[in-house]
Amino acid sequence: MIDLATIPDLLVEHLPEHLPRQRWSGAHDRTVSAVSVRWHEVVCEDDESSLVWAVVDVTLDGTEQQAYQLFVGLRPVSGGAEFLAGKDREIIAEVPCDDGGPVVLYDALVDPDLAIAVLHLAAPDVEVEVRRPIVLEHSNSSIVFDESSILKVFRKIEPGPNPDVEITRTLAANGYEHVLPPLAELRRDDTDLAVLREFLVGATEGWQLARTSVRDLLASRLPPEETGGDFAHDAERLGAILGDLHLAMAEAWGVVPGDAPRWAAEMEDHLRGLVSEGSLDVHPTRLDTSAVADRYHQLAELDDAGVELRIHGDLHLAQVIRADTGWFVLDFEGEPARRRSERFTTSSPLRDVAGMLRSFHYAAATGLAEWVEGEDDIDRELLELADAWDLRSRVHFLMGYLSADGVEALLPAETASRDRVLAAFELDKAVYEVGYELGYRPDHAVIPLAGIDRLLRAEQPS
Amino acid sequence: MASRIDPTDDRWYQRAVFYEVLVRGFYDSTNDGTGDLKGLAEKLDYIEWLGVDCIWLLPFYESPLRDGGYDISDFFTVLPAYGAIEDAKAVIDGAHSRGIRVIADMVMNHTSDQHPWFIESRKDATNPKADWYVWGDDDQRWSEARVIFVDTEPSNWTWDQERGQYYWHRFFHHQPDLNYDNPEVADAMLDVVRFWLDLGLDGFRLDAVPYLFERDGTNGENLPETHEYLRRVRKTVDAEYPGRVLLAEANQWPEDVVDYFGPEGDECHMCFHFPLMPRMYMAVRREQRHPITEILAQTPEIPDGAQWGIFLRNHDELTLEMVTDEERDYMYAEYASDPRMRRNIGISRRLFPLLDNNEDLARLFHALLFSMPGSPVLYYGDEIGMGDNIFLGDRDGVRTPMQWTPDRNGGFSTADFAQLYLPPLMDPVYGYSAINVEQQQRDQSSFLHWLRRLLQVRREHPVFGTGSFEVLHADNPSVLAYLRRDETDTVLCVHNLSRFPQPCELMLEQMAGLVPVELSGRVHFPPIGELPYFVTLAPHGFYWFSLQDAGEGQEEP
Repeated sequence: MIDLATIPDLLVEHLPEHLPRQRWSGAHDRTVSAVSVRWHEVVCEDDESSLVWAVVDVTLDGTEQQAYQLFVGLRPVSGGAEFLAGKDREIIAEVPCDDGGPVVLYDALVDPDLAIAVLHLAAPDVEVEVRRPIVLEHSNSSIVFDESSILKVFRKIEPGPNPDVEITRTLAANGYEHVLPPLAELRRDDTDLAVLREFLVGATEGWQLARTSVRDLLASRLPPEETGGDFAHDAERLGAILGDLHLAMAEAWGVVPGDAPRWAAEMEDHLRGLVSEGSLDVHPTRLDTSAVADRYHQLAELDDAGVELRIHGDLHLAQVIRADTGWFVLDFEGEPARRRSERFTTSSPLRDVAGMLRSFHYAAATGLAEWVEGEDDIDRELLELADAWDLRSRVHFLMGYLSADGVEALLPAETASRDRVLAAFELDKAVYEVGYELGYRPDHAVIPLAGIDRLLRAEQPS
Repeated sequence: MASRIDPTDDRWYQRAVFYEVLVRGFYDSTNDGTGDLKGLAEKLDYIEWLGVDCIWLLPFYESPLRDGGYDISDFFTVLPAYGAIEDAKAVIDGAHSRGIRVIADMVMNHTSDQHPWFIESRKDATNPKADWYVWGDDDQRWSEARVIFVDTEPSNWTWDQERGQYYWHRFFHHQPDLNYDNPEVADAMLDVVRFWLDLGLDGFRLDAVPYLFERDGTNGENLPETHEYLRRVRKTVDAEYPGRVLLAEANQWPEDVVDYFGPEGDECHMCFHFPLMPRMYMAVRREQRHPITEILAQTPEIPDGAQWGIFLRNHDELTLEMVTDEERDYMYAEYASDPRMRRNIGISRRLFPLLDNNEDLARLFHALLFSMPGSPVLYYGDEIGMGDNIFLGDRDGVRTPMQWTPDRNGGFSTADFAQLYLPPLMDPVYGYSAINVEQQQRDQSSFLHWLRRLLQVRREHPVFGTGSFEVLHADNPSVLAYLRRDETDTVLCVHNLSRFPQPCELMLEQMAGLVPVELSGRVHFPPIGELPYFVTLAPHGFYWFSLQDAGEGQEEP
């Protein structure tokens, strides 16, 4: 095997090519202009395989600074690395070796043995037999062990504790049962590098369940309450655990009076950002920005705004899973595009509610779009069914939310104020969606635009 | 071919498939319009051909038949319309010679009010049987005990003019509860058990077991005294009749039912798992697995040697009675909102009408039934997809005559039509001219033949009876996949709960290198590799795979 002291030099040499190939890396398809190894550590070393753990600082496009965590595996090319077949992307380099054949450096998370060595860094006492990596992840990498626990390895390193780890630990310690607290953590210099959680075998994403229900609806051509796949009761239970979540977060981190003018100002910023990008102009559907702004002004004038507390911040159907023991809320990381310091989201709890309501609209609209794909005339009846599904899910979700004992104290006192705050957050979320869709999937922009249209047409709260 | 009974196999019930038979409705050998034990004996060849392991006989004892024979007026006599003790013996012996066991219903809790014990007991308060039933001077005692048949019974107490006292009954007023606090009663019922086991019966399905005792300040259900008596019955059976089985009917939530296995597995060998079937029905309506996996996750471990009895339909109605607390809210919320489900609560339906006569769905339901943890119980006639007649009322709708042929009376009886105990089904969809054993035996692609082959497959893999049950992860919520596993055999079961074709990626890395061999056609599928194993499923389709070492291939040398 090679001298492991040469690893930093090898990384500096090869990472500029390796990192842009990785989906998880912010360097994807960008130029890595400099790499330096902040620290590295040999986890294990023998003739068959070795494992080196490192954090590297990277400069992207000559300006942006990022830090990445790497687990580098080393094996002789001649044996033991069969699992790398077809995984060229995970190979960092092949280097010659003085006292034997060449050695391959690769991402150790794909190595069946070394993945367990990584797990043992976080949880030395856990005994596992089988691991499987979760493929197709965007920002981090996860490995499931024995179908009972899942290790999430953070790739992009930000200093300080990870909010998801911290929040779920606190909530669970306070008795809230619908999050997955850490079973073990890998931490260094007060920075979270990996977290081990229970893996809920058989659990499904809320988004998948909602889409299954919408498919059943459109195929049945019956009102949603008469279909077997009716989503209302799942939505209601989901609402109830969100209500309890906000109560638990209020208890853990406290509340302050709601700052409606600030919320409105942030929303106006988002709206201005969308307009200034210019892409709205090319879209055939007109967005009535002044009507949206009007709603924000009305929000700013509201005295009865409820409270502000630490919230989930990016809640939608793909952030919740339905397990045999009920719904669970995942990923308390805030919006992934923002930096961590900005992600400690405090806002109205209705912002989370709005996120979920927008998600119901998306589930109905994308389900309908796929069902009628290729058809010239959209069947009016199907359109109405999809709307009815959306409405029914909203109503039951809100019923569930309001059924949480004590949640009313977090909300505006008057129903009309509640509606106004909720509508404004829904508009804000939809505006964000329009920008996202115009950037990535322009033909989907009609969905949030229709959502905005509906919100603006809704009865003006008096 | 059914194998001969192995007398040393004390745990046969853990792998057995049961077949529930209504003597009255199976076959009429005397042409009086009512099925009988001789008729059943004549049809044992058919039951053997079908390939089940054990017949479960509904009550065939002397009875005024005010409750389908569950109102027994003599425990030691066969209802004359069904035959005599010798005929019962002939059925048992005939079944045994074909490798089939026989169990029968036994009602421990009460008798008919026509039973000589009760006739004597009600005479006065001093006769020798005076304390064989539960008598009281006021009808307010034990008011915590719910009235089960609320539609017909105002109270659990009924006034008896002759004795001048109230008597206690948890079910109909014509079914007085036996007094188990009287040691004579407890002994007498053990003698009933001995009598039938001596005759050769392989066990009992014990009707309504939670109610044997009454105690102040309780609801009279699941009392410690009741469990203690069941342990005594079990001890007697194990000591005097090893290898016989006790199957409890306790229509309650699994975490409560599990008590009837006994803390040391020393009460009943088997208990019915009631909530599974409504959950299966809900799962296909919702096109997602959670209703099933949820109830299985809530099902406690059972003692060594115990087994669940699981069923799709039986002679009773689809009931929500067993649900408790928040589960009750959950089930009611789910059912009440679905008109198609709601319509079927509290009425007896057979499987096929319940499934809208969808044969693919019926196949899926049987695949689930035969592969989930427990011993399956089939209901006579469901193997050919018989229908029901809900206008017959009460539970008679699912107790119409077995449909053997397209001939008169469905081949059940040559009596005059008007003489039949119930009219056979004659409608164009489910009537005997369309649905009958003869036609389905001739047709190799019939549901009957398909089910028979499924029974053969199940028999070849005892792991279905006693293996571990492990739900597999699948992103697609419409797919229910699990492993059944023991030291020697691993079976992978994948089911599509949706009416649309579905893809599914299964996480089988732990099985890498093994080859899935589909069990109905023995086709070898591509070996399992490092990546998720991909299968596509037809609407309501399913696969059962045996996972085998790659070396077991069938290539030519």
